[in-house]
Amino acid sequence: MVLAAEYLVIHQTPHRGARKRKDYVEPIIATRGLKKTYRFGKVDVPALRGVDLIVQEGEFVAVVGPSGCGKSTLLHILGGLTGPSDGQVCVDGNDFRLMSDSDRTRFRRHKIGFVFQRFNLLPTLSARDNIAIAQHIQGNGFNPHRFDVITQLLGIGKKLAHRPYALSGGEQQRVAIARAVICEPKILLADEPTGNLDTENSQIVLDMLRELNRTFRQTILMITHNPEAAGVADRIIRMRDGRIISD
Amino acid sequence: MHRPIRTIVSVLAVAIEVAMVILVVGLCHGMVNDSAKRVEGVGADILVRPPGSSFMMGMGEAPMPIKIGDRLAELPRVLAVTPTIVHVNAVQSLDLIYGIDLTSFNAVSGGFVYHSGGPFDSPYDILVDDIYAHSHHSKVGQTINLLNHDFRICGIVEHGKLARRFIPLATLQDLMVAQGKATTFFVKCTDPAYTEQTTDAIKTLLPGYTVLPMKEYMDLMTSNNIPGLNYFITVMIGLAVGIGFLVIFLSMYTTITERTREIGILKSLGASKTYIISVILKEATVLTLIGIVAGIIGSVIMRKFFITLFPTLPVELTWNWRFYAACLAWMGSIVGAFYPALRAARLDPVDALAYE
Repeated sequence: MVLAAEYLVIHQTPHRGARKRKDYVEPIIATRGLKKTYRFGKVDVPALRGVDLIVQEGEFVAVVGPSGCGKSTLLHILGGLTGPSDGQVCVDGNDFRLMSDSDRTRFRRHKIGFVFQRFNLLPTLSARDNIAIAQHIQGNGFNPHRFDVITQLLGIGKKLAHRPYALSGGEQQRVAIARAVICEPKILLADEPTGNLDTENSQIVLDMLRELNRTFRQTILMITHNPEAAGVADRIIRMRDGRIISD
Repeated sequence: MHRPIRTIVSVLAVAIEVAMVILVVGLCHGMVNDSAKRVEGVGADILVRPPGSSFMMGMGEAPMPIKIGDRLAELPRVLAVTPTIVHVNAVQSLDLIYGIDLTSFNAVSGGFVYHSGGPFDSPYDILVDDIYAHSHHSKVGQTINLLNHDFRICGIVEHGKLARRFIPLATLQDLMVAQGKATTFFVKCTDPAYTEQTTDAIKTLLPGYTVLPMKEYMDLMTSNNIPGLNYFITVMIGLAVGIGFLVIFLSMYTTITERTREIGILKSLGASKTYIISVILKEATVLTLIGIVAGIIGSVIMRKFFITLFPTLPVELTWNWRFYAACLAWMGSIVGAFYPALRAARLDPVDALAYE
């Protein structure tokens, strides 16, 4: 595996066709010295203190660690929801240092799917519309074939007319996963996807993620507290105090 | 529809805004037009008023000697001349009471059409038109107290000629202590084609007097020429638009605050600032459109209600002003919703997703 630091030294601006070594497979995620500091009043609170990470396309990676270790912050930065304070982030050939806020929004629209612990479905829309809105925002129009494949795969075909309040937690999370992958994102970022589910539903959701990874070679980066959940991933990264301590 | 009460209040505010604009303008224009049409209904070709007087009938006292009428009648191409004196009645309701010389008035106007009763029999007789009679449930023989005197209704006439209430010229002159005076002379030419020549002749005869051909008078009788009326209309429209703007602003502002998390979700899906602004403006537009339809329907209902309660109150609802009111309401709503929309678009996605 290519080290992140090594990759980023070679590819300072990878999206602009920088030179590549023949034995390198371009990683889909590469960070080097990634730092993020939040400021609360006059106090600086470091969330990430220098993260070096490489993820190859098609990998299913679990990130584990205690609360406050910076897992969610890492996810938000990789998804372009917030910018880094320092360091380099390169996702699918896009160097975040060179991207404006609206560039990152456009990038997120086409390349990233999010799944959250609290499902985050829009309460006024049906399951069908919650999924379809992602396609609407992407602007490529409704793709019925993709829609059918995904909803069948996730087993929510009969629940599409229901609003979120009429769905169980497991069903809501499956709708959220469908929404996240409907636009064929390069990367699926899952933030504690089983955190609000019972054991049975957790297993169903994890199986779904595994299935997506196998069927579509979907790159998945999943944050979890749960060691069993992390066990379904190909690779487990442990974080503590804003750093990766094992990979 | 997520918050039905807030939605209803927003729609209602826009509906009130639209109905208020349509009705205020309709009432002002209706009163001006109705007044102008009734003056035109006299059938005269020329109006003669004192020097420096307003073209408006209720303005001014009765400073013209009534003998001027004889001199006007002697002019060539003049068929008939009738003097009138006007009293602005502000008791119970605001209206104009005309003192007329029935014989000459009939000569100019072709005479009243009587629904019941007949012409003046005594100095304290009064003629009312059918609209007044209907609204006040008046019948021939009843008495009306006017200028501290009881007048007997001697006849009910077809509406459309000058006023709703007429009393003998001499009686009103006495009551106004304006014996031998008149407010306006109505002049009828032998042929309407002679109006211009006759107008010039009157101007030569009575230099400085206000001499208006009827067509010119009708052109002047618009809300633009009524002192203060346009300011009144503008202020009322401003208030109505202000109400709509504030309600939509508050409604959308609270919506944004309540839906912060949903906006965060949209942002996580890659929704751009433009997309979020457009979603909120579309919502405001839908509310406004429903409010506009409700306001237009409400204005028609209110007009019927006004006419039932006050039959003498003319309210003219025009499609032009319905369109203008709708545009004003829509613009007010868009401006009102724009700041909340901008605020939503600028929300930090991470903070918005963490919002409880």
